Amino acid sequence: MRNSLHTKETEMQRRMYEVSILKELGDRIGYSLNVQKIVDVIIGSLRNLLDYSTVGYLLLGEEGKVIFHCVLEESVNKNFITEVKNGMVAALSALAGHEIKLDEIDESISGTITDETNKNSAKSFFNIPVVINDQPVGLLNISSTKDGLYKEEEMTILYTIMNQASTAVSKLENILTQEKGKLNSMVESMADGVLMVDTKNRLLVINPQARLMLGIAKSSATIFDVLDQLASKMDLRTKIEESIRNDKLLVEEQVQINDKVLRILISPVKDSANEALGAVVLFHDITKEKAIEKMRDDFTSMMVHELRSPLTGIRSIANLLKEDKIKNEQKKYQDFIELIVSNSASMLDLVNDLLDVAKLEAGKFQIMRRATNIGDVVKMRIQSFSSLAQDNHLALESRIEEGIGPVSVDDNKIGQVLNNFISNSIKFTKQGKIMVSAFILKKGQKLSEKVASQGLVWPGLKDPSFGADELVLAVTDTGLGIPDDQLSKLFNKFTQLEQSAASEKKGTGLGLVICKGIVEAHGGTVGVFSEVDRGSTFFCALPISPESAPVVAAPAAIK
Amino acid sequence: MEDKKTRILVVEDEEILLTALSEELKQEGFEVVGAKDGVEGVEKAASEKPDLILLDLVMPRLDGIGALKQIKDSPASKDIPVVILTNLSDYDKVSDALSLGAMDYLVKANYRLEELVSKIKTVLERKQFGTLATPTVPPQA
Repeated sequence: MRNSLHTKETEMQRRMYEVSILKELGDRIGYSLNVQKIVDVIIGSLRNLLDYSTVGYLLLGEEGKVIFHCVLEESVNKNFITEVKNGMVAALSALAGHEIKLDEIDESISGTITDETNKNSAKSFFNIPVVINDQPVGLLNISSTKDGLYKEEEMTILYTIMNQASTAVSKLENILTQEKGKLNSMVESMADGVLMVDTKNRLLVINPQARLMLGIAKSSATIFDVLDQLASKMDLRTKIEESIRNDKLLVEEQVQINDKVLRILISPVKDSANEALGAVVLFHDITKEKAIEKMRDDFTSMMVHELRSPLTGIRSIANLLKEDKIKNEQKKYQDFIELIVSNSASMLDLVNDLLDVAKLEAGKFQIMRRATNIGDVVKMRIQSFSSLAQDNHLALESRIEEGIGPVSVDDNKIGQVLNNFISNSIKFTKQGKIMVSAFILKKGQKLSEKVASQGLVWPGLKDPSFGADELVLAVTDTGLGIPDDQLSKLFNKFTQLEQSAASEKKGTGLGLVICKGIVEAHGGTVGVFSEVDRGSTFFCALPISPESAPVVAAPAAIK
Repeated sequence: MEDKKTRILVVEDEEILLTALSEELKQEGFEVVGAKDGVEGVEKAASEKPDLILLDLVMPRLDGIGALKQIKDSPASKDIPVVILTNLSDYDKVSDALSLGAMDYLVKANYRLEELVSKIKTVLERKQFGTLATPTVPPQA
């Protein structure tokens, strides 16, 4: 009876130690996945639980290293340790399925080793395997100089503790693998190129984008492949070292690799203890940004060219006019004055256009709406272009739908839009006719049906969708037509000049950009339909709301 | 050189510049032929046999670089010295032109007449040096 009570008490005590060890393990595992550290915790707490002379472990470490550590609770001689170690090596070799060589072992002992006059040998001992994710990674050994010390009970206790620790680490490792997987797939799918190196300049991660940007075809890239690709552009290795050394983000603003322009960021990476782990290199493709920048520069230099040429001419001609020689040649004199007048006028047009564009871009473009009879606006435009059309042997006609009431628009600005459409059509049409049309398109009504019902033909017409009742103004020609790939560029400020410079026709090309701005200031849309060799239609659609009565009862638009 | 006027072909699409340059050069005693784009320039380089060509770079139909290539490819015009007329903004095209055999260039926006004339004379002298096997007497203009 007494004996069983004593057993129960001992049992309880052991349970408590077991629990306290497990609690400490739990805490440790929370921030460490290092198996060695965890085993260290276990063996550090065993003294209260078991009687032993030595406790040691043999662990399979990274890169083929094997760690042997042994804590001597009482002094033993060298042979004792060798015996224990050899026993463990044999057992772990069997467990791991491959032979562990003695020269691979990294050995450390804490405690006192005596000489061989101490004849104590390992009389009792047992091994507990360390298993992580079903893989044996090491062995724990308890040995004593006393005989017959360890029975199933002792082994079970240690086995339980070890098992708990293994399970916890395995779970954590799984979570970590999962998180790493998530992180990896994120890095893989990033639009930017990413690579990471450790402090020894080994490539840990490189995503497909980085390989693509650097032109590395093989999937098992090394840091040398990366350095090679960048060799003539930048010294990445030095940059990485500099970044880690100074703990600083480094940026290479513009590196041209193959047909891409890359912005390269090099950032040091540290662990929670502020220890350098390596560096992350980010490759950001800025090819598009650079192209836009170039377009902007080209635009500026084109503008400068367009302004400077006539100005230089005007100055030279004016200088010539100062001389008596020219004054005496009446014909030349007249010609020169004429040149000055026309060139300064075109310069002024350009400056006005540029100011309009600048205002549009700054959002300061103002329109003055008033009740406008759109038929009058069209008639005025037809009148002003009739002689130019005649000179070019083109018919200039208009078709205005009956019953369009007054609409609230900026009549001058809408007149300017029509001016641009009509003058463009005349420029690019060799023969045939130019038709100016105006009609109301009801919400939900198909543009193609409406166009047909008005007896109009618009080559290349596709049905756009509008959200309201719209007043449609259009200029259709029988000209050259515009290839599909050029259509979208027509209303773009930067791509315009290139086109106009290459063509024989003079002009800044800003007209359509300004038209777009004017129409958008009205809340409307501009567009173009075209078919090569059949002709083009430039149109604008201005939303009209029937209930919005004109605010100011002003006379209809007449310039 | 005294008995025959030096003939200069000016290829320039900007009408006012073409007129101004032509008039200025005429007043300096040169004979001037004008061409209003690259295509016309190439034709006149061969047909008019000028002593020197002033060639604009940015032109419709055929630009200066294209025209220069054709001028240098044609046996009728390949030996005529070419001076490029340029704007400050297309310097990279100037270096293209120089590598294609243009002898010099002139920035249009801020040229002075004296500079233009002295450049023309220098180029013509260099051309004479180049064609003489052993120039013993420096050519006097």
